[in-house]
Amino acid sequence: MIKKEFEITAYKCTKCGRIHYPYHDRCLTCKNRQFDIMKPQGDCRLITFTKIYNLPWGFDQRYLIIGVVEFENKIRALGQIAVDETYDLKLGMTLRPYWEPVRVQYGENVYGLVLRPLDKQPLQ
Amino acid sequence: MRDVAVIGVGMIPFGRRDEDSLMDMLAMASLKALDDAGLGDKEKAVDAVYVGNMGAGILQHQTALASSLVDRLSLLPAAAETVENGPASGGSAVKNGILAVASGYYDYVLVVGGEKMREVTGWRATDFVATMTHPLAEYIYGVTLPGLAGMFTRLYMEKYGVTPEMLVEVAIKNQSMGALNPYAHVEMAISREGIYESWHSIVNNPPVADPLRLYDACPVSDGAAAIVLCPLELAKKHQKTPILIAGFGQATDTQTLQERDDPTDLKAVTLAAQKAFEMAKMKPSDIHVAELHDAFTILEIAESEHVGFFKKGEGGKAVLQGKTRLGGQIPINVSGGLKARGHPVGATGVAQIVEIVFQLRHELPKERQVRNAQNGLTVNFGGFGNNVLVFILRRVEQ
Repeated sequence: MIKKEFEITAYKCTKCGRIHYPYHDRCLTCKNRQFDIMKPQGDCRLITFTKIYNLPWGFDQRYLIIGVVEFENKIRALGQIAVDETYDLKLGMTLRPYWEPVRVQYGENVYGLVLRPLDKQPLQ
Repeated sequence: MRDVAVIGVGMIPFGRRDEDSLMDMLAMASLKALDDAGLGDKEKAVDAVYVGNMGAGILQHQTALASSLVDRLSLLPAAAETVENGPASGGSAVKNGILAVASGYYDYVLVVGGEKMREVTGWRATDFVATMTHPLAEYIYGVTLPGLAGMFTRLYMEKYGVTPEMLVEVAIKNQSMGALNPYAHVEMAISREGIYESWHSIVNNPPVADPLRLYDACPVSDGAAAIVLCPLELAKKHQKTPILIAGFGQATDTQTLQERDDPTDLKAVTLAAQKAFEMAKMKPSDIHVAELHDAFTILEIAESEHVGFFKKGEGGKAVLQGKTRLGGQIPINVSGGLKARGHPVGATGVAQIVEIVFQLRHELPKERQVRNAQNGLTVNFGGFGNNVLVFILRRVEQ
């Protein structure tokens, strides 16, 4: 598999420090327009999750587990969680982030955030 | 600003309506509302038409619905606009109609909301609704609205102690009322045993986005609803009891759930309700009947707290205590709500107002009528709480 760099870019307000992801033209808190670019760092804490059974067009699988996480540098993002069952998940647990294909559109892989528990890492 | 009243309402039964096109449904609901207002045979019935719709461009490959509808109904040369605002399209169309009359620019305005969602497969309909999510931060991952609701429910349960029993009770209450509503998509009462307690419930009520199960979610529906608005001073010469738009409010929140400081806080609901109560010079205890946007059972509980009927963490308990049933402290979704009436997304905000007008005119059969209701409230919830409209209506004695 070709390893890709994380394409998540977050934006930290230069005035009040609020972190934004996705992009906003003005800070959600102080309306400033200047931001420092940030990249996600380290592992993530699981904020919430669900297992979706009725998937949208474009997903040819039985279910999908997704969740919202917070990285060590406080960036929050939504991603797919690569576990078979939600029994393996608990709010607040640590997940490790990967940048991998999350769907196929027009015959091409679309890459995104994929998360795994620390004891369920992919084979190298 | 002039006071604005509803003088006519019309709705067609929601459900799977294979025989009707979207335009058929919009026209049928509109004619019923115009007839109800006593305007159906007038040469110049209305000055303007607002159509609430979310997905005709995607689902029917049809745009400019309002222009088509005024032609079909022979309302030319009335002004006509289509309003798209996700699942709050109906509420937004109503708000635009109210502003047009309140400003004095138009006297008579028809507002109609409609959607035809059963024309496509569930796979396509789910994808269509998910197009309102953020394209890069949410949509590409396959997140759906039930998915967002599932994540919200998990957090709400954790923070406020909402239990599966509370969610089940909302579903049972709303479907029991929907069984009495001839406009409802799902006219079927359900039991606690059938969807929760017995081993059959695993089959009857499978998970859709855990912890939410099938009976926690509204159906995908076809349908349309319409109202006619005019200034209160003109309303008094029409035959039906005028229902005043006493107050309304709209507010927005971040598009993604993860960017909210507290993802369980539905700020847009709170702010829209505060604006509506302030304009109406009322408080939550003045409301006698409410239609809340229960696309998922958790939303009825959360919205009942965010508009101020109950304190945070008390909404679920209130459901178990029967406080939100007909005859309770504040009857909620006596129509069956989105849960049973159905959720043709563009129609919902208008249908909620039609239901409250039925209630405030005291026109419903005894088993569904809130006794002597004078004031009603609706919440139309767009996106996942990122665009919300609240309306407060009041009966005006002739």
